[in-house]
Amino acid sequence: MSEMWINMGPQHPMTHGLWNLRVRIDGEVVLDVDPEMGYLHRGIEKISEDRHYNEVVTLMDRTCYVAGLAWEHLYILASEQALHITPPERAQYIRMTCEEFQRIGSHIMWYAAFVNDIGLMTPFLYGMRDRDLVLDLFQSFTGARMTYEYMRVGGVRNDLPPTFTDQARKVLDWLTDRFREYDQLCLGSSIFHKRCDHLGVLKANDCIAHGVTGPMLRSAGVKRDLRKDRPYARYDAVDFDVAVADGADVTARYLVRMEEMRQSIRILRQTVDWLEHHPGPVMAEHLPRWLGAPYAPVGREGYLLKRNYAKGVGFSAVEEPHGEAQAYVVNEGTEHPYRVKFRSPIFANLSAARQYLVGYRVADIPPIMGSVDPCIGEVDR
Amino acid sequence: MATEITATEKPNQNPILWVARPMATAARQFAKSLFRPSTIVYPYERLEDPEFREKVAVASGKPIGLGQVWDNYRGVHALNIATCISCNLCQFSCPDLCIEMVTVPGGDPKHPKKCPEIDYGKCSYCGFCSDACPEGCLTMTTRYELSVTKRSDMVYSPQRLNEVFKTKLPMNPIRLARPANEDSILLDVPLCIGCNACARDCPTQCITMLDIPKPEAKAGEKIPKRIWKEPVVNDSDCVRCGTCISVCPKECLFWGTRK
Amino acid sequence: MSQATLYSVSYDLSNTIASALGSVLPSGARDLITSSGVVTGFAVVIFAVIILAATMLNTILLIWWERKLLGRFMDRRGAMHVGFAGLLQNFADGFKLFRKDTVKPREADPLGFYFGPTAYMITSLAIFGILPISSGWDTGALPLTLLLALAIFAFAPLFIFVSAWSSNNKYSLMGGMRSAAQMIAYEVPLLLAVVSVVIVAGSFDLNTIVYEQQNYWFWGPLILALIVFVAAMLAEMERIPFDLPEAEAELVEGWNTEYGGMFFAFFMFTDYLRALVGSVLVVLLFFGGWTLPSWVPSVATSWPLAGIFWFMVKTYIVFGVFVWIRASLPRVRTDQLLRVGWNRMIPLGLVSVFVAALLVVAKCVWPFGCLPTP
Repeated sequence: MSEMWINMGPQHPMTHGLWNLRVRIDGEVVLDVDPEMGYLHRGIEKISEDRHYNEVVTLMDRTCYVAGLAWEHLYILASEQALHITPPERAQYIRMTCEEFQRIGSHIMWYAAFVNDIGLMTPFLYGMRDRDLVLDLFQSFTGARMTYEYMRVGGVRNDLPPTFTDQARKVLDWLTDRFREYDQLCLGSSIFHKRCDHLGVLKANDCIAHGVTGPMLRSAGVKRDLRKDRPYARYDAVDFDVAVADGADVTARYLVRMEEMRQSIRILRQTVDWLEHHPGPVMAEHLPRWLGAPYAPVGREGYLLKRNYAKGVGFSAVEEPHGEAQAYVVNEGTEHPYRVKFRSPIFANLSAARQYLVGYRVADIPPIMGSVDPCIGEVDR
Repeated sequence: MATEITATEKPNQNPILWVARPMATAARQFAKSLFRPSTIVYPYERLEDPEFREKVAVASGKPIGLGQVWDNYRGVHALNIATCISCNLCQFSCPDLCIEMVTVPGGDPKHPKKCPEIDYGKCSYCGFCSDACPEGCLTMTTRYELSVTKRSDMVYSPQRLNEVFKTKLPMNPIRLARPANEDSILLDVPLCIGCNACARDCPTQCITMLDIPKPEAKAGEKIPKRIWKEPVVNDSDCVRCGTCISVCPKECLFWGTRK
Repeated sequence: MSQATLYSVSYDLSNTIASALGSVLPSGARDLITSSGVVTGFAVVIFAVIILAATMLNTILLIWWERKLLGRFMDRRGAMHVGFAGLLQNFADGFKLFRKDTVKPREADPLGFYFGPTAYMITSLAIFGILPISSGWDTGALPLTLLLALAIFAFAPLFIFVSAWSSNNKYSLMGGMRSAAQMIAYEVPLLLAVVSVVIVAGSFDLNTIVYEQQNYWFWGPLILALIVFVAAMLAEMERIPFDLPEAEAELVEGWNTEYGGMFFAFFMFTDYLRALVGSVLVVLLFFGGWTLPSWVPSVATSWPLAGIFWFMVKTYIVFGVFVWIRASLPRVRTDQLLRVGWNRMIPLGLVSVFVAALLVVAKCVWPFGCLPTP
């Protein structure tokens, strides 16, 4: 058979989302790949410029639909810096709890999808079953299961319900056992090792050259985690290790993500304990009036016709489940952000596809792409 | 090159007999879920039903033994028409522009009563409207079943939202606390013409037009032609909707901190 | 009462119908209807209809069985709404597919496109004409049933490849090539495993093979052959972990990507038909067919159709093991599959042939016992 191009996407079971991977193959061997993104562009950054600071939070949930709270956290951190607001400590702990639970939820979702890619459907349903517990927790305090709209500039929308700490501990205990089961289904199977060992290798140098971050970078042996290297919220106050593996292959990424979930459980036990013993306000006290509630629209400048608020620029970087996400918010003294810009980690991870796909086989594409954990919503925004 | 990981719990999961471990795991799950799999048979079993939550224990785990809190749930809105003051705050707060204020019977002819009509085809259930509602008459309930066969059925009129209110479903209790340093409506006195527009449109009737003395005309000075009244805002009744600012023809009202 | 067989049942039915028709017809027609040639012709038709209906029903039941079992392995319920415990769900699915349109791609070759799935199903159905399911319940009189069954079974890659190629789709083509490579590679170990059974039983006749297992079932001493046979059968049936011709992750749906409606139903149905053939062959070759071990009280086997009942139970348990494997193993890669086939399965098959030869020489093996003396 001569060489040919095949399109894996935009409607293809391999692509977890709306993107296209053009693959040039010779028989079963991949000669060249060409990732095409942009099928899911919704103009979130532009829409943000027309919304109030808090209303942008509704878009953040839609940016990455499996890690909504992490993206909310990212945006809120940047906006708070731009607006010169400091949230109370309890709100910061709640945000950390949200982000770590979101990391667990996102990684379980990754596990389910990734293992489904190599033909094993059972863990998909186990994963979805266990992720539901995390979603139940989110629902108990945010009121929604996927689009949370929970964080606000200056704090969070509401305090945790009194039952939260007990439930969270139950969920953490349950998940600890389940993660062992996950490992048995994958690592305990020699077919899994046959499929995933030495596959999709992306060495540390290539990772750094292409801006690849997150579990992919850590699986190559680079110990970089923004929660340690550039602590935000109260990550400097909790005790955890950075999961690093060498091997840079699909198995290493699997190990790193599983270990990250275990570390998240470790962080969560600390934050849940803290939250139990430190009641307090969850909203900053001195907020501009227009951040708290809406008002009748008056003219282009609206509220600020006769007032001048401090201008500012905010930048934040968050270790999102998929990698390092960054946000940049410009506050020009109006109630709308002047400019919002995001850096999606997966965009960089996918752009390096040629480095870790060429030379493998067609059947290797789904596990390799699955190990990248693409979430196209945040790539295209 | 062996893959090493820094781990708290070493995943000691090397394959036994090639595939014995996963097969044992699957078999264990099979035995556990033989009688009651974790699936919740949705139309017949509902998570929001507390009786079901406590009664049924799923054999293979306890996903439904956790007991979710449904009070916060952001589902279909409930509107108490009786207490709605037509302040428009829900409409202003909606990021998706899915709320429209429509006239409902009950208001006097001069001040028609307007209540929100919500288009659930656009709604994103963010809850900003119910957070903003100053009277607590627009809340969100646990109702989440919205499938309809016509697109026009997605639009819930105020009466229909009132029906939801009457079902007494658990309603979202969260009200955003008003910021401590809340701004007030201030008056730029020289600009005011005493036209009464603000007092007329104020939903809470917290603006009173007080008479002010008409100054004596000095020599060579022209007395401005205006009504000699001035709005006074009662801050404790004010819901900060800003309607007065938006209707003011002279832009003499503005937000600010009262000295 | 003499034991009912497939022949006797068909003939009795045919006779009954002929005489019933004859009683209401004029004498000339009565003679024609009740003549032995016409009755035999009727009997053959009834015979075929019984086999076809039983096969179809069992295949559909098998799909239900897989859905329910797989559901439990995955901590869910499987089909549960249509009929009792979802028993009729597959009929509903079938009707849905029947109503749907089959869209032929413009550039596809119509002859191969429609011929492939049809021939695939017909040949697979034909196997059931020769598989015995209980003593007397077979076509009989064929000394080489096993060989014939495997020969028809081996047709499949041809039709798969024909339909894949004529679909004019890259995914289909790759799936078809994978399928052909895999089925041809695993045909050899499959036959080696069968050969070891044939050596021990001394016959290609499935009835004889079952008869030879009256003292012990062959799976014990021939465990190697069983492993090779099951692995090769999994590859032939294209089930996980060897379902890479239709690996949905990379090839969308493999060789049946372009099919929809009834022709897709043909493919799905035939896949399960072949799974049924595989399970039946495992039971016949290694698990004593419709017989039970001698220590089982005769109550279990003395009632009519007990043989068929136990045969079905065994078949469904064997298929349950296939489902178990599907629930717990990921899919392997083409090159790995072929390497396992040529480098592991064929040597293992040769060893099992050797073991079978030893077994024949030794006659009696502890702890299993002796082969029956002819």
